[in-house]
Order: sequence, then structure tokens, then C-alpha cells
Amino acid sequence: MSTLIPNAPPDNRSDEAKIELEYGSLQSPEFLYVSKHPAGQPLPTPVDDEPPYYVNVATLLSFLFLIIIGHIRDFFGKIFKPYDYADLIEKDGYAPWYDGFENFYVRRLKTRLDDCFARPTHGVPGRYINCFLRQRAPQLKYTYNGESTKCLNLSSYNYLGFAQSHGVCTDYALKTVEKYGTSACSPRSAAGTLDKHKECEQVIADFVGKEDSLIVSQGYGTNASVFALMVDSQCLVLSDSLNHASIRFGIRLSGAVVKPFEHNDMRILEKIIRNEIAQGQPRTHRPWKKIIIAVEGLYSMEGNLVNLPEIVALKDKYKCYLFLDEAHSIGAMGPNGRGVCDFFLVDPKKIDIMMGTFTKSFGATGGYIAADKWIIDRLRISYFNSHFGESVPPAVLGQIISSLSVIKGTMNPGEGQERLQRIAFNSRYLRLGLKRLGFIVYGADDSPVIPLLLYLPAKMPAISRKLYAKKIAVVVVGYPATPITTSRVRLCVSSALTKDDLDYVLEQFSEVGDELFMKYRKDAPRMKLEDVLKTNAEDCKRPGFV
Amino acid sequence: MSTVTTVITSYPPTADLLEARLSVSFTYYLNMLERIPGGLIILRYIRSSYKNDPIRSVLELILFLFAVHYFLSSKRKENKSDLVKFSGREVDELNEEWQPAPIVEPVGPLEHWRLNEYHVKGHSGSHVEIEQKPELGTVVNLSSLDFLDLSGDSRMKAAAMDVISNAGVGSCGPPNFYGTQDVHVRLEEDLTRFLDAENAILYGQDFVVAGSVIPAFLKRGDLAVVDSGVNVALQKALVVSRCDIEWYDHNDMEHLEQILEELDPILSKKKPLKRRFIITEGLFSYSGALLDLPKMVELKNKYKYRLFIDESLSIGTLGDTGRGVCEHFGIPRSEVAITIGSLATTFASSGGFCVGVAPMVQHQRINSYAYVFSASLPPYSSKVASEAIKIITESVDASGKSKLIKSLHQKVAHSYSKLQKKFANSQYFEVVSDGNGPIIHLALKPAFRASLDLPDYYGNTVLLTTGKPSRKLNQFSEEYNLECYILQQIVDNVLGAYRAWINREKIVYEQESLPVQNPRLWFHVNNGVLVAELDAAIGALFDVSNKVCSRLRSPNDLTKLREELMRA
Ligand SMILES: Cc1ncc(COP(=O)(O)O)c(C=O)c1O
Repeated sequence: MSTLIPNAPPDNRSDEAKIELEYGSLQSPEFLYVSKHPAGQPLPTPVDDEPPYYVNVATLLSFLFLIIIGHIRDFFGKIFKPYDYADLIEKDGYAPWYDGFENFYVRRLKTRLDDCFARPTHGVPGRYINCFLRQRAPQLKYTYNGESTKCLNLSSYNYLGFAQSHGVCTDYALKTVEKYGTSACSPRSAAGTLDKHKECEQVIADFVGKEDSLIVSQGYGTNASVFALMVDSQCLVLSDSLNHASIRFGIRLSGAVVKPFEHNDMRILEKIIRNEIAQGQPRTHRPWKKIIIAVEGLYSMEGNLVNLPEIVALKDKYKCYLFLDEAHSIGAMGPNGRGVCDFFLVDPKKIDIMMGTFTKSFGATGGYIAADKWIIDRLRISYFNSHFGESVPPAVLGQIISSLSVIKGTMNPGEGQERLQRIAFNSRYLRLGLKRLGFIVYGADDSPVIPLLLYLPAKMPAISRKLYAKKIAVVVVGYPATPITTSRVRLCVSSALTKDDLDYVLEQFSEVGDELFMKYRKDAPRMKLEDVLKTNAEDCKRPGFV
Repeated sequence: MSTVTTVITSYPPTADLLEARLSVSFTYYLNMLERIPGGLIILRYIRSSYKNDPIRSVLELILFLFAVHYFLSSKRKENKSDLVKFSGREVDELNEEWQPAPIVEPVGPLEHWRLNEYHVKGHSGSHVEIEQKPELGTVVNLSSLDFLDLSGDSRMKAAAMDVISNAGVGSCGPPNFYGTQDVHVRLEEDLTRFLDAENAILYGQDFVVAGSVIPAFLKRGDLAVVDSGVNVALQKALVVSRCDIEWYDHNDMEHLEQILEELDPILSKKKPLKRRFIITEGLFSYSGALLDLPKMVELKNKYKYRLFIDESLSIGTLGDTGRGVCEHFGIPRSEVAITIGSLATTFASSGGFCVGVAPMVQHQRINSYAYVFSASLPPYSSKVASEAIKIITESVDASGKSKLIKSLHQKVAHSYSKLQKKFANSQYFEVVSDGNGPIIHLALKPAFRASLDLPDYYGNTVLLTTGKPSRKLNQFSEEYNLECYILQQIVDNVLGAYRAWINREKIVYEQESLPVQNPRLWFHVNNGVLVAELDAAIGALFDVSNKVCSRLRSPNDLTKLREELMRA
């Protein structure tokens, strides 16, 4: 027993066994599907079912209790256990690192479910993920016995299952390391640009349907610096209220005026645009220099898709620019995996700045900006990431190029198609199954992100621990990352999962759902597990399932 | 209630009278309060918390009412008064008329030359092939930040390949959600031990670290006293954090002391205590100067500030075993509250890190944006960095010096003195850095620049003088562009004629919030380059700089250069 996280235990399994654990083989060609939005049809607005009112009341009461008890504990804790609060009190004339207010939720909510976060792992985050066994010890420490357990992985952003230690992509990445070394070490403009970078950028531009692209070693960093390049304090950014932190940080850094709009609400967006163009900048009423609409393709906490056709119509009508973050949708959406444009059959030329990351579908890391060549030219000269920060390292370049080639079918033909159709099937299968079991889930039918609503904060640790005991790894999210009343489990589906895996997940969820009283759905009758499993595979392929 | 009225004060009689009056009515209302349910509790609260001082209570009450009023009315009112009323048709017309600027400034003919950057064919080590110049064959790379030339090392590559064949490339998740692997934790431990800190935290890219760490600890109302020569990552981080900023002259400890002294009486009155930091770099990336750490530590302890140092360039290059400025000066790491650094320079990996005391690091794991909202570093990168630390520290000679670092130091010292000697009587260039860092800076001499009518500095001073960033970005500067172009011609010619690839300073001029110094040539010393090659490169640099600059005799020649760019 030690409080140090151990090293990965040796793995003596055969290569075949490992491959199967990282990417389960397809059980039947039945379990494939092509995801595509029916052209011309409006985007169905996901109707978010509401829980019974007493759940809402109980949720608010829970938080009230939590806050009151938290304050009481703080009050007495500071008197009787000052040592525990040493970090919150000024010491020898130095202010505390952070004040108690900033830190209240962390201390009083997160510490209670600390064991559900940051479970240390080792090896490939593929179909299964290996989590180290740990036991809670005082002071937020853990003890480890050196062993790990493999859990079915519904937590990693491994949509297409490219997180693998065997296969064409890994071989290619290894070859790239052999030839190019461990890192290019320098920023792009200082000996950090390799021929491989240029190759990779062309591959991405072709893939997303743009003239040129620029790659960055981190997705967060891509967004964090890109707005400074486009907008200043005389420009307006209309930002979806659920945009990712990296986008919000990037906008803040640029100093532009930002107006958030209600998530995915096109009517409100249009109203804001019309008004803002008419009013111009605050006080001076000079016209805005430019207006950028910033949205995501697939919202990672809601599983909602952007209403791309309408947003493109709006931006054309009002001469705004569109910034589209495809971090979660690129690779995972559309019949060819080319993101939401592919899914909605929207011409990528209509989108001014296409951003995406390699962290999710491609099993790599980093981000890209794809746009017209004249825009990318400006980026090469005036983007922080061109002159500061390391360039994308070689192994990652190898993984990106090879995974994209697999998706396109130029490498290992057929493999890419299978991955794309499996993620589409798996997402719909799991979503429909959960719905029919009586859970409230958010998001679009085809979304590989499935948030399952818990509402009550106490259910977060409960479900996370129960599923973990049944060897299913899930992510729970609550306030402040979500609105206060909508704590949730977020499931990320992967091509690597087999239908049997999903059936196991449904089975366990059904059981835990009954135990924890979580089947809140009211708008349709609840079905029994056996009945769900019987017809789920066919039913999930029908458009507009319930 | 008698207690309320018998407050003893030393106010003048009129105030006494007023207070007595107030007390009476105050008591009356307090009595009323007693009657409503729960009123007793409020009453007791008011009494105890305000120590029965009625004036203060009234003031607080007014403030409270004002706050309520403000929150209820401010939003709508302010916007309304500012809005102009338009009819539907007018809005349509205004929408029709509006013409936005292009999404980014198109690259004009004067800037176009900057797009011609060199690409490395194959591995970017100490000796490289350049894709656009195949005729040159192998050239000496004096542009890389891989100062110890580890990125091609066979042990480093083996470490990378080992992890990739066990864990794949990406980590596919943020550190707080199953993205933390054993190798990440090992690297955090290695960094903690290497830098003699309490704890360490990893980031996916080195450039984002400052922008994420600073806003996690400095908020509105907190104070940062900052060196006015810091790089753009720190400038932006400070602006984003919205803290109060005081600037001291670049690396000028006397000026710093003066400012701290002036601030002291003001700060000592403020309650509760606000967080205050001194923010600086170990080895300044823009000027190449070395921080005067001993004096800095003395000052920050005297005035009770926490010290934040960006050691991106100094860790792995300074000190006997590469432990940065602290080791260089023999000062314990515990004197530095927050140290940030890069894994992508001498550690030949990717990503960045932050080290310091445990509660500070722990706070970042939940409150630092780039850590929470981004996937963790690829596992193999962690392993590679751990391997680099091992390689750097394992071969230590009798005097306690790492052999690798020692060799780098010798090459830096050699190059520096060679460059100084060579350029001692150059008409055009001078060495402007202090010889400590592995990047040696050269810049055009003031007299020569004056003869070309080039300004003393570029950019703007708004942030420096007002503490608030300028509302506008820096406009394109023709002179700055031309001066950079002159340096680029030198870089091109040294490469073309002598097969040595040196670098020039590259910043994003538009985004600089501080005054911008005249651009510099950067000579990156690399441990993999032989001394003879360094000598040859220095000789080449001297010859080429003379040749290029001798053509520029007056401001007129700059105009010609400009025309040349327009024509190209
Ligand atoms: C919408 C969005 N943008 C950007 C990012 C950041 O990407 P990365 O993890 O590669 O830094 C994320 C990751 O969570 C994201 O969801």
C-alpha cells in the first residue's frame, strides 16, 4: 500500500487479446448505420423532457443543504481544525492563495465526490480503460495496491476508436518518431516546421474541404489565441451560451465585445444581429467593424448539434462571419466523418473559420484552423501559435495523417467506413436504449455524446461508484460546469464498443437506474430491459425514434 | 435596547447630537424588527456584527439598499438610455448598408516575404536539410530550441516508441476525467524532484501556461508588479486576469524597489489583504537578459510579495544541472512561489508545466482553464520528458556539473565571446544579450539605426502608462517591417552562402501591448553543433551583415528596399 500512483503492471496478454480489448470486432454487419441529416428538413429541436417537479425541488433543497452545512462546517472547522483551513487564512503578511468563497464548491461539493474524478489510468483509453485500484485516505489522498482493473470505457473522447497501440496508425506514428525524433521543439517559425507539417496541413484542408489549414499542438491553445487575430474592441462576437471554455477565453483575450445568445436559438440570434448592426458600438454608435458568430458543431455537454443550415443562412443574410468549432463533431459526424457540414450537406466554403481538434476522433492531440488560403496566410504571420509554443510533435503528426487516411479510405480501405458506421450505429443504439428504459437524455439522435440527466447532486457519486463497481467508467458533471439543477452523467460512445458491450451497459444502467430511482422520463412509457433489447437494433435505425 | 443608545464616542458635539437622534430612531426600528418572525435572529446578527455602532449600521443599510437598487435597475436602465429607437424599416436599411471589414487583414505586398519560411526535411536536429534549398545539403541548425540536441537521441526515441506501443498516441481525455496516466504522474514527480518543489502540474502546450496560471491566482483587485520586458504570453495573461498592474523598468531592481516602497503604505492600509505578485522571467525571451534573482528575492521578502517566474528558456539551460535560475544563483526553489516552464525546449518533448507549493498546484487542478478544459499531454510526451531529465542529470562530473549542460555552457561561452570580439568594431551590429542564455541576441547599432531614421522603439506605451491595454492593436509599421526584412536578408544569405541557419526574433507585432524593441538576430547555440561550425557561422554572420548593411546608407535606401518589396 502506497500513496504513490504505481507504474502500469506488466501485461502478458497476446497481441490479439490486446487488440480486441482496445477495439472490439464487429459482431454483425447489421450493427452499422450511416448518419446523415435528411436534406432540406429542419433540424428537429431536441425536446428536453422535464423531471417530475419534486425532483427539481429536491435538487434545489439539496444544494441549499449543501450550502448551509458547508458554511456551518466552515465556521466550526476554522475554529476547531484551523490546520485544515491554513490555506484560506493569511499568513505572515501573505494573502491566501485563493479565498474561501472562490473555493467553496470545491471544498464542500467536489471533495465529497473526489474519488469519481481523475481516476488514474494506464495504457490505451480504448474499448476498455485500465484504472488503478485506489482507496481513499485522509486529506484527499489515496492508497494504491499496485493493481488495476479494466472498465468498459464510456468516458474517453475516442469516438472512432483510434486510441490503439496496434494497427496501421500506431505503426505509422512509430515510423514517424523513428524518422523525425521526439519533438520539433521549436515554434513553427523557428526551425519547428517539418515537411510533415505541410503534408498534414494539406491532408486536413482536403478533408474538411478548405483551401488551407494550420495545425497547433493543443486544441485549447488553438481557440485561446485565434480570436485575438480576428477581432479587437471594436468588433462584436456573438457566442453561443454553451460554448467551450477555450472559446470564451479566446474571446476574452481578444478584448472584443461579446454577447452570448441562448443556446442554439436562431430567432434570438437573428434579433440580436439585427439590433446590433443597427445600434453599432456602445456609446459611440459607430458601426461594428465586424461581427463573428462563434458556435460549436456538437456541444460536448449537451450532445446537441448546431443548427448549421439556419446559421449559415443568417450569416449570409447579415454579412457576419462564422467560426465553427468542430472539436467533437469532426470525424464523429457525417457519412464521411467530415463533421457537421458533411452531416447537414452544407458547403464548407460557407463557413469562414473551421476549427477542430485531433484529441477526440483521431486519437491524437492538438487542433487546426482551416479556412481560405488568404486567411491562413495571415495566421502564419500573425497567430501566436506560429511564433510561440511548440509545433505539433512528429508522433502526433503521424497519428493524424494516418487516421485521416484511414477515414478517407486511402489507407487500409474499408476500415474507415466501418469505424464511421459503427459510431453512428452505437450512438443511436445506446441513446434509444436509454430513452426506452426511461432515462432522460439530452441531445441529437446521432450524437455520440449522450448526457443522461441525474438532477440531484447526490446521484453523481452514487451512479459513478455503482457503475465503477460494475466496471463501467463514466464521467459525471455537475455545477458549476452545468446549470445548477442539471447534474448529469456524460457518456461518450465509441466505435470500439461492440453491441454486446452496449447491451451490458444498458443492463447495468437499468439496474442502477431502478436502484437509484433515476428513470425520470414522463413523455413515453418506460419499457422493460428485455423488450428494449429485443428490438433495439432495428428500431434505432429508424429516423426520429422515441 | 439601552445598550444601543449608550455608545461612547469622541465625535464633536454636532455629530454626537446627530448620532443620538439616529440611535433613537434606529432603536425604534430595531424594536419593530423584534416583532416579525425571525427578526430576533437578524437583530442579534446586526448587533453583534456591527458591535453596536449605529452609524456604521445605517451606512451598511444604505449601501445594501443601494446595491439592491443597482442590481435591479442597472442593467436595463443603462442599456436603454444608450439605445436609439429605430423603426423596423430603418433597421432593415441599416442592416442593408452595413459593410464589415474582412475577417482578418489580408497579407499585403509589404509583408508577403514573411510567408517564405524554411521547412525542415526530416528530423529537426542540430544538422538539417531544408526543403526549399535542397542544393545546400545539410546545414547547421542555429534556430532550434532543442539546445541539448536530445530530440533525435536514441534513448529518447525508444522511450517515445515504448509508450506509443503500449498506450497509443493521444490520451483522449482531460486529466480530471480518466486522462491522467501513470506516466503523467511520474513526470510530475520527476519535475518536482528535479526542481526541488512540492508539486508539479502538466499542460498540453507551453504557450498557454502563463495565460492559464496567472488568471487562476490574480483576480480583479489583486496586484501584479511586472517587469516591463515580459513576453506577450505574460502581457496577455495579465490583461485577461484584470488585476491591477504596476510596471518597473526592465530588469531594474532599483526601480522595482522604489515602486514597492511607494506602494507599501497604500497596501498596508488595505484590508483584507490582497494577493500580490512580482511577475518576471528567468531568462527574458525578448531581451535575453538574466533576472537578478538574489536582489529580487531580497525585495520580495522585504515587501512580502510572491514571486512568479517564467523559466521557459532557463530551465534545462542554466545552472550546473539545468535546474534554472535558482540553481544558477544558488537560491532555493522555495523562494519562487510559482515557476512555469516548457517541456518543449531542452526536454525535447512537448507541453508546459508549473511547479510550486502543493496548495497552489492543487488549486490549478480545478481552476486553471487550460488544465481543466483540455486533453492531457500525450502519454508518450510525458515519458520523453522524464527521460530527458534522466539523461541530463545522470552523467554528473566530480564538480557536480551535468556533462551535457557543461558542454552547452562551454559552447555558449565560446560563441558569446567570439561574437563579441568579432562584432566589437562592427559598424552595424552589436551583441545585446548578456551571455548567460543559449540564445545570443544581436541588433543593429543605435548610430546606424539613427542614420537610417529608424525610431528608438516601436509599438505603443498605453499599457505601460495607464495599466489598461490599448483599445486598438498596433498598426502595421513599415519601419519595423523593413528592419525585420533587413535581418531576414542576413539570415537568408548566411544560410545560402555558408550553410548555417540562424534565427531572427519573431513576434506578433500587432498584439504587443508593451513598447517593442528593435528586432534582433538570434543565434541559438546547440550542443550538437561543433565548435568549428559555430566559429564558421560567426564569421559568416559578420561578413554577411557587413555586406547587407553597407548597402544601406541613408533613409533613401530604405525607401528603395520598400519598393523592392512592393515589386516582388
Ligand atoms: C469544443 C471544444 N473546443 C476545444 C477543446 C479543446 O481541445 P483540446 O482538448 O485538444 O485542448 C475542447 C475539448 O474539450 C472542446 O470540447
